[in-house]
Amino acid sequence: MCAIAAPDVFGSDEIGNAVVLIEGDIPRDLEAAAKRAEGNCPERAIEIRE
Amino acid sequence: MGMRNASLDELLNHYDIFDNDFVSDPFPLLDQIRESGCPIAHSDQNGGSWMPTRHAHVVAMAQTPEIFTSREVGVIGLSPESKEGPYGGVRVPPIDSDPPEHHGHRRAILPTFAPQAVAKYESITRDLCNRLIDGFIDNGTADAASDYAQRIPVRVISMILGVPFEMEDDFVDWVRGVLETGLIDREVGLQSRMKIITFFMQQIEDRRANPRDDDLISDLLRLEIDGQPVDDIFVLGACNLMLIAGIDTTWSAIGSSLWHLAHRADHRQQLRDHPDVWPTAVEEMLRVYAPVTMARIVAHDTEFEGCPMQAGDRILMAFPAANRDPRVFESPDQVLLDRENNRHVAFGAGIHRCAGSNLARLELRVALQVWMERIPEFELIDPADVTWKGGQVRGPRRCMVRF
Ligand code: HEM
Repeated sequence: MCAIAAPDVFGSDEIGNAVVLIEGDIPRDLEAAAKRAEGNCPERAIEIRE
Repeated sequence: MGMRNASLDELLNHYDIFDNDFVSDPFPLLDQIRESGCPIAHSDQNGGSWMPTRHAHVVAMAQTPEIFTSREVGVIGLSPESKEGPYGGVRVPPIDSDPPEHHGHRRAILPTFAPQAVAKYESITRDLCNRLIDGFIDNGTADAASDYAQRIPVRVISMILGVPFEMEDDFVDWVRGVLETGLIDREVGLQSRMKIITFFMQQIEDRRANPRDDDLISDLLRLEIDGQPVDDIFVLGACNLMLIAGIDTTWSAIGSSLWHLAHRADHRQQLRDHPDVWPTAVEEMLRVYAPVTMARIVAHDTEFEGCPMQAGDRILMAFPAANRDPRVFESPDQVLLDRENNRHVAFGAGIHRCAGSNLARLELRVALQVWMERIPEFELIDPADVTWKGGQVRGPRRCMVRF
């Protein structure tokens, strides 16, 4: 799901586990997408820290 | 028996997910169980099972495959006959694989369903939907389930596997034979399983004789897991899985969504006026009409949330119940097409979460968009005439609409 909501922030590994593609701060233009991914993760695996 | 009139005690101790009331409208019953003092109910029906109904419990169990194994994922136990004979070993990897094998099995099929890989099916799916509608639009009526929804995923998966889609009616019959009728009628279940296996055996022989480079069966035959070429039993299993996991499920999701839109003029309007709502609308349909319930088998005696579970016990992972848990979803029974935060588990959670979800989402969105473009206004001819199937996969099987 996160790789669809925020494809520039998340990718997936060979068995489909999410991996974070960027280092450090989330660029401003991707913030909304990253928030959307956070609020739609069934496993609460994403946490965006200010 | 009608579960709708059952006492809470009866529901918590004897629920029957094949009961007519449970099939036609499970949600009030699931709500009662979830909000009772016993949100993990235990029934003595259908061979006995536990049923977690809260989102947190379902997710926690899905994330603990060491204890809650996938050695059987049917909501009713497999018949002993289906495990016997030369093809008794044909399973449905990776859905019924456990660690450590699961990893290799999942990795083998996942590239087929990566977002970039499924994107190429969008225009084909769109054409397919348009052709189906061409076939009935002049009639002014159609069965949204069997004339439309049912025909989409089976054709897409046939194309991916490289098998003739003229056989779609057979495929649908076989899959329903395994997942619907066959769960109760063992003979039908067994025969349907053998038809699928025999068909794919022939396909495998054909690919060995005439290798192709553009279909999944050929790709699977070339595959290696941990440096070892895979055997026919694995390829048979993986093909078996594509039919079983890919057809009934997506078809049910499309059918339930059309049933919803048929009686919600406000939502048809909203989709026409605000097309940007489509992505969240598709997720909301998956949340409220989550079609799939899977099982787990307890590996060893354990206690979970105060429930004493024994080795071999069956657990019904009630994803549809979890998706309406008020602890996670605001106004869970309201369908909000623009719901922002939607942690639904229609595709499961943990290591087994749906490997085909990118394809399923694409098919669901395109099927609904094309229908709404061509048939923006439609309604149920007779709400009482809609028939549902349930148990493992729930969706409408007859849904006559007029336009
Ligand atoms: C709306 C349609 C669909 C729904 C609701 C759905 C739902 C699910 C669920 C709940 C699981 C988890 C099973 C478990 O936890 O035991 C699952 C697994 C799986 N699904 Fe789907 N599915 C859909 C469509 C598809 C399609 C179209 C395909 C591929 C053709 C597919 C392939 C798979 C596979 C391969 C697995 C097993 C993954 C693993 O065990 O690692 N599904 N699906």
